[in-house]
Amino acid sequence: MYAALVIAAKDLRQRFRDRSALILGFVAPIAVAALMSFAFSGVESFHADVAVIDNDRGRIATALRTALTGPELSGVLTVREADDEAQARRMIDDGAAGAALVIPAGFSAAAVGDEPIGLRVLADPDEPLQAEVARAVADAYVTQLNAGRLSVHTALAAGVPRSRGDELAAAVAGLRLPESLESRPTGHRQLTTASYYAPAMGIMFVLFAIGFTARSYFIEGRSGTLERIGAAPLRRGTVLLGKSLAVFVYSVVSLGTLAVVSSVAFDARWGPLLPAAALIVAMSTVLVALTTLVVAVARTERQADGFATIITFVLLLLGGNFVLISQAPEALRRLALLTPNGWALRGFTDLATGAAATSAITPVLILLGMAAAIGALSALVTCWRST
Amino acid sequence: MRTAFAVAGASLRRIVRDRTAVFFIVVLPVVIMVVIGAVVQNPGGFRIGVLAGSTSSRPLAASLVEELAAVGPLHTMTAESDARTALRRGELDAVVLVPAGLDTALLAGDPVGIPVLAGGAESTQAAVRSAIAAAVARHAERIQAAAFAARTTGSTTAQQLPTATALQRATPRIGISTENVVTGSDYLPLGYSYSAPTMLVLFVFINALAGGAAIVQTRQLGIYQRAQAAPIRVRSVVLGETLCYLIFSLLQSVLIVAVGAVLFGVSWGDPLAAVVLIGTWAVVGTGAGMLSGAVFKTPDQASAIGPVIGIAFAMLGGCMWPLAIVPDAVRTLGHITPHAWAVDAWITVLSRDGGVADIAGNLAVLAAFALGMLTLASAVLQRRLTS
Repeated sequence: MYAALVIAAKDLRQRFRDRSALILGFVAPIAVAALMSFAFSGVESFHADVAVIDNDRGRIATALRTALTGPELSGVLTVREADDEAQARRMIDDGAAGAALVIPAGFSAAAVGDEPIGLRVLADPDEPLQAEVARAVADAYVTQLNAGRLSVHTALAAGVPRSRGDELAAAVAGLRLPESLESRPTGHRQLTTASYYAPAMGIMFVLFAIGFTARSYFIEGRSGTLERIGAAPLRRGTVLLGKSLAVFVYSVVSLGTLAVVSSVAFDARWGPLLPAAALIVAMSTVLVALTTLVVAVARTERQADGFATIITFVLLLLGGNFVLISQAPEALRRLALLTPNGWALRGFTDLATGAAATSAITPVLILLGMAAAIGALSALVTCWRST
Repeated sequence: MRTAFAVAGASLRRIVRDRTAVFFIVVLPVVIMVVIGAVVQNPGGFRIGVLAGSTSSRPLAASLVEELAAVGPLHTMTAESDARTALRRGELDAVVLVPAGLDTALLAGDPVGIPVLAGGAESTQAAVRSAIAAAVARHAERIQAAAFAARTTGSTTAQQLPTATALQRATPRIGISTENVVTGSDYLPLGYSYSAPTMLVLFVFINALAGGAAIVQTRQLGIYQRAQAAPIRVRSVVLGETLCYLIFSLLQSVLIVAVGAVLFGVSWGDPLAAVVLIGTWAVVGTGAGMLSGAVFKTPDQASAIGPVIGIAFAMLGGCMWPLAIVPDAVRTLGHITPHAWAVDAWITVLSRDGGVADIAGNLAVLAAFALGMLTLASAVLQRRLTS
């Protein structure tokens, strides 16, 4: 065991002397997590600027404008008055407004007549949410008018004489829709970009360590170092154990550093200390197993490099390190759970959004199970090769 | 010139024979294009989870669920805990809890609150609530109408519901139409039309950078020195390598364009503009590859640090997400990379129907980037080969 520790310490010293390993393990993940955190800082808050053009000035139009400027919407919506449609279009072009609501002339009078006039939303295709909010707010108001109109028509169709039309119209004015939305708290924290991409980028960069380590094993083989070690009373397994330990420590230190730096500097959430640390350790164990698999399967330095690269990129792509996996179609989300990094990201996502610390148990167990399975496969391949 | 062609041919053969390189050049860009294309494809609307229980004996609950289908793809769920977990992980935008006593309460004339849990960013929450409110209001409209008609005629709401439902479809209502007033978009189209051009920009650059490892290796092996023993000028060797990278970048571009167009139906816009842009970007890739080969000291550095630089530049330059969503400072910073200029040009070609004249500025900047990198690379390489 001591020999394995010595080999691990030597490998780590070698790795930390190599600038590219330092860049991959520490500088790059922090830089990329920072970049993502800054890039998306404006996306996580929302405010719509909607221009309103009132060509009607009637009673219902005024009530609609009042509804738009109500206190309950002031946090989401700022209304900007525009004199005419041309000015509103200019405001959208200049970015002064994200959308515009046009109240046509004659709107109030027609709203209670047989041929109502519709409202128009002028939209910028790059600001679909602003147009959607403008449309939905206007819709919420006209729905009550539409409900009143439908109520009168239904009553008339049910047999109430047309002569009582005015009486019906007056009666529906006081009605309120029988169903309304009741916003409930979700009870969880919003997943921020920093909280997802910090672990995603950290895992991405430690996966590159598979290539480094496997390659170094073959380089030592080529340069005769392994042969010379063989002269000592050491087995190849001890050398591999030492190298595996080095990968493990490198991965834990890299992910741990990123966790601390991204939490302090970019407000990324990695969850409570113990389960987050367990996930980091479990993911690092998988990394060790994957490295031994590459060493077992490859015959040359070049092959090791090739296998490691392919494994790394396939895992990164399927596991969701490049894309926010929750936005992906269900089939891709299921595929992600075939990968260790997919499970690690699920664990970190759960912890970041406030799930109980026990939510990390399943991902940790699955990661350790995957590590054991990959390790067993590596052992089988090695045995098969040696016979 | 014949020497330059011979050098280019030898280098190209070496790249093509390397299976790892083939994975990077052929398989990886296509797979990434598919994954990112699938994730950014917008199926339309919001992803809504609905907990309605059994609706077989509850026609009003069933019709509310039908109305909600207009908001976006519906996921009917049975356990609230599952729905909340999916919402927390961002797999759903909102969860609607249809109350068990909805039919009884509405038919009895009692107002009902529909509990809604909205997740995601603040912007999504505001928009998804508005969209659900509009669907619920449309449902409530006919309940109000049926109840009103029932009260005025002495019948029951249940009796009047079919009439209200039929009239809702037939009666003119105050509608809201949306009109896009800005002709071009600052975003690339969604789906594969987004991932294909951005992955072209990303991979041509990244593979050229990583491919610099071949030049470093040739340098280390002393092949250039040996070549100089023959009557070959250093300039011819440098030109040969440049040609190799240019052909390599062009081949990869053609592959991505063909796969995008044939398999995923991607439109590449004005053919002339697309060809000029692809050609210019291939020259930028050539410059990056040559610079990587000249500057890095070991092949490991080129193949390890190259992709990191490539990914970071791609993120800054808008290949991973649109620069239109990032803060101004990040957008300005992004334009220190050639990627941002190339992606801007693709936006002009694909989203604004731009031609060569419209992207002339971007092409000039890209050409300047390419010229700068090529000049620097040639100077460094010539110095290294002659010293």
